[in-house]
Amino acid sequence: MFNPTVASITARATLGRRRAVLFAIPAAILIGLTLILRASHPAGGAWPDHVLGDFGFSILLPLTALIIGTGVLGGEIDDGSVVHLLATPVRRAEVIFTKFAVAAALTALFAAVPELIAGLIAPNETKLAFGLFVGAVVGSVVYSAVFVLASVLTTRAIAFGLLYVAIWEGLLSNFVGGVRILSIAHYALGIANAIAPDQNLHAGLGLATSLILAVVVTVGGLYWATRRLEAFSLTGDPA
Amino acid sequence: MTTIEFRNVSRWYGNVVAVNDITMDIGPGVTGLLGPNGAGKSTILHMIAGFLEPSKGTLALDGSPTWKNPDIYRRLGLVPERDSVYAFLTGRQFVLATAKLHKLPDPERAAQWVIGLTEMAEAQDRRISTYSKGMRQRIKVAAALVHNPEILLLDEPFNGLDPRQRLHMMDLLARLGNEGRTILFSSHILEEVERLSGTIQVMVAGRLAASGDFRAIRRLMTSRPHVFRLKTSDDRRLAAALVGRDYTHAVELTSKGLQVRTSDFGAFCEQIAVITRDENIRLTELLPTDESLESVFGYLIAN
Amino acid sequence: MPTETPTGVIHDLGYRRYDGPRFGRQRIVAALAWHSFRSAFGFGRGPKAKIVPVIAFVALLLPAIVNAFAMSQGNARQVDYDTYVPTLRDLIMLVFVAVQAPELVSRDLRSRVLPLYFSRPIKPVDYPLAKYLGFTGACLVMLEVPLLALYGGAVANVHGGSAVWAETKALIPGLLIGLLWAVTLAAISLFLASMTGRRGFATGAVAIAFLLTYTLAEILLQVESLPGSRLGGNAAPSVGIPLAEKVAGLFSPFTLLQGVRLWLGGTNAGDNVPKPGAFGAVYALVLIALVALSLYGLAARYRKARLS
Repeated sequence: MFNPTVASITARATLGRRRAVLFAIPAAILIGLTLILRASHPAGGAWPDHVLGDFGFSILLPLTALIIGTGVLGGEIDDGSVVHLLATPVRRAEVIFTKFAVAAALTALFAAVPELIAGLIAPNETKLAFGLFVGAVVGSVVYSAVFVLASVLTTRAIAFGLLYVAIWEGLLSNFVGGVRILSIAHYALGIANAIAPDQNLHAGLGLATSLILAVVVTVGGLYWATRRLEAFSLTGDPA
Repeated sequence: MTTIEFRNVSRWYGNVVAVNDITMDIGPGVTGLLGPNGAGKSTILHMIAGFLEPSKGTLALDGSPTWKNPDIYRRLGLVPERDSVYAFLTGRQFVLATAKLHKLPDPERAAQWVIGLTEMAEAQDRRISTYSKGMRQRIKVAAALVHNPEILLLDEPFNGLDPRQRLHMMDLLARLGNEGRTILFSSHILEEVERLSGTIQVMVAGRLAASGDFRAIRRLMTSRPHVFRLKTSDDRRLAAALVGRDYTHAVELTSKGLQVRTSDFGAFCEQIAVITRDENIRLTELLPTDESLESVFGYLIAN
Repeated sequence: MPTETPTGVIHDLGYRRYDGPRFGRQRIVAALAWHSFRSAFGFGRGPKAKIVPVIAFVALLLPAIVNAFAMSQGNARQVDYDTYVPTLRDLIMLVFVAVQAPELVSRDLRSRVLPLYFSRPIKPVDYPLAKYLGFTGACLVMLEVPLLALYGGAVANVHGGSAVWAETKALIPGLLIGLLWAVTLAAISLFLASMTGRRGFATGAVAIAFLLTYTLAEILLQVESLPGSRLGGNAAPSVGIPLAEKVAGLFSPFTLLQGVRLWLGGTNAGDNVPKPGAFGAVYALVLIALVALSLYGLAARYRKARLS
């Protein structure tokens, strides 16, 4: 199911040159911010919740997942080099799964791990840090599946993905209750909250719901993406 | 021995018909797919390569369709027109990766063989982003050949190559064709196609305009009538004078002037000035109206 | 034996020279700016290109519509002209510029058409100027039309000339703030997007630049404004707002804009930015520097008519 050659090419393409800087910056900011705030407010307070939750979880994670997830396959589709990959007998499911795995791993590396580090740096928040780390890993997985799917469905995946992250996740799902089942951030939050219950996380979903939805969305997304990739068409000169 | 069979294949996008009712067989040896831009050549190649589904008709590779069938890639290699390759890899890494993706038993050896074949050995350890256009073409061909396919599809392979590179590419393709492989390449330049291929398929506006030996088709093309449009002080009298000549095919009086179809380009050009002078007609405009490749192909379609 | 020298002749195919009056630079820049303005909303491309701008526009218009409805039921005006709905506006504009700025500049880089533009009688600075004008115009539409809709809805529901005049007096500063926003956001996003020809990469870069800095500033502001969280070792500032809190607002274009607005006399709170008082001059300077640097960078990018 996992193809090392595809993984190696994908990882090199994603981490090459300037791209890696783009998603290393948010992670660096997170850790830097935590360090600065810890130095200036050693007594603690409410700031870890803001930094780890609002910044790390609600913004850093989805944004990093968006850029990486839409890039692993979307970049190749956009410039046409995906043909060289597809003109081989490799099963499309393998391609999708491998790219998804690389995206999830890189997102976890650049978003979940810094989250953990920041959480450990912040005073008295070890349990929360661990909970958020697990939640962020789950979030990385689900986001990656959805964004890889999006990049197969449209060349404008990052635009729609940004709309989703900024508007849907950022605004609506916090205000409108029922909508939370469609918000990946809330799956991750639900899991984090189950491990380290914290009022300030504003998690709306329980553990079971979050897990089930996370699995359903991931598997469904990957399946749909595979079916679409099997029917990949080269229609003349792309716009 | 592999044959690609097209039976009444059509492909459309909404209202635009890209390929219109094509029936042809492509067998071993080198076949050239000739036609002006927009004729549907890329569409044909992409359909054979399994990257487009025919809207109608059947397209089979030795009996099995190519759409949604990744196994065909064991026997088929595609060199796409677009310049896009993994620019951050070196030539060797790219070909080697392709070999591994094809699950070859000895990817290193296959890669080295095909790099030698395309004369890329010197440049193989440089990044593809540093390659010239000709080198990119060659590395794409190398990647398409690494699994020793019976069928090789090339979309405008001579685009952007200088004469020496073109000769070399032709050599390579001729050799591969002589080994019994099925090679299909597309071009809109007749000279390229005729040098290399025994059989040509000519496409115009999605239809198959001509197929067969290129020499026969060439003969057809040089004997086609030329069309001129003239504006004179007395079209009708000139028309009457021209109709009597044996190089005149047809004469038409239109609102835009006199349209003359002639089968003997040279004779007409020599004579027109003489005729107008003798008849005391003032010739104000003389335009050839169909020097384009499209009209040439168009003529082929009509016949 | 005399050798024949080969002769050649150029045939007259009927091409005519045009020696009449031609439009000058201004018309070219105007045409390019208009084209850019249209591209910012996806016009001139297929329907998928219009989805994000249209959604963004409608989303930004909603509060005005809701307000008009609320006012017709007898309530007072819920939304202010100079802040509108801050968080919504920040996020929507962020998405808009992140997705559309690459449409304006990255596409041209990718398809290598710059030599076509620069082989016309324009100066190298005209291209970025036209892009900037077009995009600022687009941002203006996004920002001002909702304000005007708000105004229209309010005026329709109030009675008496003085009430209308009050509404008008409140609208004008709001429009000016909108102008300030448009000028700033267009400059920064175009500059960032012009760095790369890949649309997706550019969108990511702009999104990170705005969203990350915004969240960063917000957190710093919220954290610093909490009671008992003064910066250790700092002398108590005169106005009672810690220096850290004032400085925090400088870290993001959005909070920067709010700070300048407050300094210029705005009254409503927005984005948690405190009234900067005299420090507001620093906000204004930083804002001007940011815009100037962005425009300079944008112009420098196109100084040489490279292919990409």
